Amino acid sequence: MSRDPHQQAREWIACGSQGLADSQQTWLHIHLDQCASCRDYAQAAEQFVRSLRSVPLAADRSLVRTTQMRVRAHAQQLQQKQERLWLVRMSCILVGLSAAITTPLLWRGFEWIGESAHVSSPVWQVGFMVFWISPALAVSLIFLARGIHLTDANGTSRG
Amino acid sequence: MNAAACYLVNGMVSETSVIARGLRRRDPDLLDRLIEQYQHRLLRYLIYLTSNRELAEDMFQETWIRVLERGHQYDPKYEFSTWLLSIARHLTVDYLRKKKPASLDGLLDEEEGVSLDPPDLRPSALELIAQQEQSDQLSAALVGIAAEYREAIVLRFHEGLALDEIAAVTGAPLGTVKSRLYRGLNALLPRLKGAQA
Repeated sequence: MSRDPHQQAREWIACGSQGLADSQQTWLHIHLDQCASCRDYAQAAEQFVRSLRSVPLAADRSLVRTTQMRVRAHAQQLQQKQERLWLVRMSCILVGLSAAITTPLLWRGFEWIGESAHVSSPVWQVGFMVFWISPALAVSLIFLARGIHLTDANGTSRG
Repeated sequence: MNAAACYLVNGMVSETSVIARGLRRRDPDLLDRLIEQYQHRLLRYLIYLTSNRELAEDMFQETWIRVLERGHQYDPKYEFSTWLLSIARHLTVDYLRKKKPASLDGLLDEEEGVSLDPPDLRPSALELIAQQEQSDQLSAALVGIAAEYREAIVLRFHEGLALDEIAAVTGAPLGTVKSRLYRGLNALLPRLKGAQA
């Protein structure tokens, strides 16, 4: 062994000798039998481990209870959030589908009204665009107003 | 692999699989059980990591919230305790970095005079004094060494983690873990001897 045997022995003691191969364990035992200083080191390490394990550090009952309650409340919030997201996703899919189905029908309906009323194509096409986009515009305006209202309310309550 | 070892490994895998499934479902009963089961190990680790019981208790709660949020990331191939301790470690290091931009070594300045308070378990007065003295000496010695050495020592000798598990928790290479244990013990033992003399 080219390394300093004392350092090697102490490294093995520090890392815990359980993981050592049989030959290493034997070498360590022989070394400890012969070297008083490393033997003292091993005993001191053993004493330290015993002392460390005897320190009664434990969690309070109240801490555990509080944590369990917080975790449960947070789990509920996450579930509600997930449910809301699911609803939003489903709504998007349904709106997309209904738009895909109704848009061609609506287009034809506006075309027919335009021809019956003898108005030019750009006029009924603009009418169609306004009719088609107005629900989304209305919803956007409602969300915008609600967002501004909530921001104002938060600002007031913090200020 | 013999039959007993195979049974043990399979038992561990099936238990961690149950935990992983429960965490994916965010099962509150499973989380309650895990909090009960790992309460002392986690808190002890956090107390030794931070040297501050109050902060450790805050981090304890935050760790379980994070476990709830990130439960789907748990890989049942590994021990749950290793994953739990690594989450606790990341949260604590992040918190301490935000509070004071430094590595764990930076803790040392704040740790002067801080002792790790064990809870009152009501033994006899004499036992209490002896226990308290021993605990104080140990705490003072532990607080006096670098935080990364303290962490490795606590994980190895208190929590009984294997070297590769310590490497997984701390994110350090195996060689670094060994060196931290060796250097930590070398720094610690003379302090303990000095305190007892």
